[in-house]
Amino acid sequence: MDARMRKFLALFVACALVASFAVGCSSTEDEPADTTTDEPMTEVRAAMVTDTGGLGDKSFNDLAYAGLQMAEQEYGTEIKALASNEIADYEPNIDQLASAGYDVIFTVGFLMTDTSMLKAPEYPDVAFGGIDQFFDAPPENLAGLLFKENEGAYLAGVLAGLATLDETLDDRINADNTIAFIGGMDIPPVEKFEVGFIAGARSVNPDVKVISLYAGSFDDQAKGKELALASIEQGADIVFAAAGQAGIGAVTACLEQGALFIGVDADQYETVDEAKPIILTSAIKRVDQAVFQVVGQVVEGTFTGGITEFGLAQDGVGLAPYHDFEDKISQDIKDAVDKASADVIDGTVTVPATRDAL
Amino acid sequence: MRNPITSVRLKSVLEQLATPFVSVLLAFAIGSIVIWAVGYDPILAWTSLLKGAFGDARRLGDTMLRATPLIFTGLAVAYGFRAGLFNIGAEGQLFLGGLSAAWLGLLVVDLPRGIGIAIMLVAGALAGAAWAFIPALLKARVGAHEVITTMMFTFIGRYLVSYLVTGPLKAEGQIPQTVKLAPETMIPKFSETFGIDFGRAHWGFVIGIAVCVLMWWILKYTTTGYEARAVGFNQWAAETGGVSVSRTIIKSLCISGALAGLAGVVEVIGVQGRLFDQFSSGFGFTGIAVALLARNNPLGVIAAAILFGALSAGAGTMQLEADVPQKVIFIIQALVIFFVAADQIAKWVLSPFKRKGAENA
Repeated sequence: MDARMRKFLALFVACALVASFAVGCSSTEDEPADTTTDEPMTEVRAAMVTDTGGLGDKSFNDLAYAGLQMAEQEYGTEIKALASNEIADYEPNIDQLASAGYDVIFTVGFLMTDTSMLKAPEYPDVAFGGIDQFFDAPPENLAGLLFKENEGAYLAGVLAGLATLDETLDDRINADNTIAFIGGMDIPPVEKFEVGFIAGARSVNPDVKVISLYAGSFDDQAKGKELALASIEQGADIVFAAAGQAGIGAVTACLEQGALFIGVDADQYETVDEAKPIILTSAIKRVDQAVFQVVGQVVEGTFTGGITEFGLAQDGVGLAPYHDFEDKISQDIKDAVDKASADVIDGTVTVPATRDAL
Repeated sequence: MRNPITSVRLKSVLEQLATPFVSVLLAFAIGSIVIWAVGYDPILAWTSLLKGAFGDARRLGDTMLRATPLIFTGLAVAYGFRAGLFNIGAEGQLFLGGLSAAWLGLLVVDLPRGIGIAIMLVAGALAGAAWAFIPALLKARVGAHEVITTMMFTFIGRYLVSYLVTGPLKAEGQIPQTVKLAPETMIPKFSETFGIDFGRAHWGFVIGIAVCVLMWWILKYTTTGYEARAVGFNQWAAETGGVSVSRTIIKSLCISGALAGLAGVVEVIGVQGRLFDQFSSGFGFTGIAVALLARNNPLGVIAAAILFGALSAGAGTMQLEADVPQKVIFIIQALVIFFVAADQIAKWVLSPFKRKGAENA
């Protein structure tokens, strides 16, 4: 065998090693695959552009994609998700989907507000759904889909405010009467989580101390962990994180330091395996429902732009099941949460949405 | 008759080009295997990537748009490297450049467009240089390593900007960002000038290329450039030869910082029109990879930045048409960097051809 031959053989083996490594990695990754049904019942094609959190964030973007998948099941819609690696990807991603003939495009996340306003008029035949986006005067083909995060967080606050007093609930509860909120970026939907959480906790436990910290991003796990550690250090025994991937860092901190956790957006008991032993509940936000409903409107030809708000009454927000803590949380606490929920729905209680209103 | 000196020079230029070129090819070859192994079609992936990067005027514009900040940050890192300085804090200097532009942009609104832009470019370069000055001084006087200090200054710069856009400089409204600049203070877009839809690409791209040529000339033909190269090559020899090492270090790192500052300016007055927390998606760090691929040659930076810009511009189309996740682009970028860094691999692949060349000679 001549030398060059041997070299190429060695190179080939190296490549094969890299490839097998890649295969090994890919099997653990759960990138949702597009599966188009054989006989589409509708011609409507629906797509979404993720924010920089991308698919696999186990909350926001994944939920929107779950909504698309529900539409695929229900209507046979062809679906597609384009991930954004960076902010510069937002506009070109929308351009590409619109020119590829998608009929409805979801832009996921508050940070894409400006982009949606800019792009919707450019493609008047495409329906746009902006998740978490508020518009003063949106064009007819743009719908802003907002959530009353404060209402779901209010229930989480009631739960945490009572649980932190109940040392019989779990040996991780301490006597400090302190709980913590970890936010991603300080933007309105996250502020609503924070304010609702504080209001809920104070409504049942006026002396409770709520530590509020912001990571400044939704993807910095190390920062999320650091902030959670700092708040646990100061006595917090329950940490509520509305911080995307940074919240996963908070989970790690709670596991290490023996604190309890409340998840966000999705039922994170189901989506974040390692959180199972510490997660009381999650303040869920049914982004999937909102996406599914809008696709339905487009399919049925009833789509109109404008602002739609999803609150407790519309089943757009709420609390996830208690799962492993079902038996540990006392009936009194559960009753208090249910009562708070009923009060919010019938309007007895109005949950503040901004820090100024708190 | 063949001029032996020209021929030697040509050969060395070719050799310099061959290694990065082979590295990129190897990266794509292994990338293909990865794509194939996870169940996608590599040919379709690359053709859609090409289409997404160069398919029409708009896609070409997207490539230029994304290459623009990388030209400046790549050049910044490359210039530092030539003087033996590893400026990994280009990101921080970029933020300061962006900050100065976002602030000045509101003040120059009454000036003629060209003059306003020139003022913002100069001021942004000065801001970047100022941000590099303290690490430079520390390096020159007490030998504090610039890898640590420029990095730390990146954190300070980033959080300073983060504080300013959520506090004192925040525009009306809920989003933490500065006031949007008037369109007439911004760098003109190609589509305005040529009447062809180049998307958001702007003249900052051309300014970047011009600055690369300028820096190439400075490195090659001026005393400043000679001193920088001398210190980068061997600072003791340079000292003995009469070059002030500490002054050269300060000057070179500040020039590097100034170039990175320009990246921030063109992003603010070329693309975003305002400053916000995440206005840079790590351009300063990608600049390190660009400089590495360019082998610290200012002219090579142009090509390397365009390659990285094309990869990032084409990624969306690749995902749309071939279903390949966009993150695969990061794998390709990492492989390019790997093969450039481990250039012995590329040389080894090239060696049979080289030997043949030697036999022919």
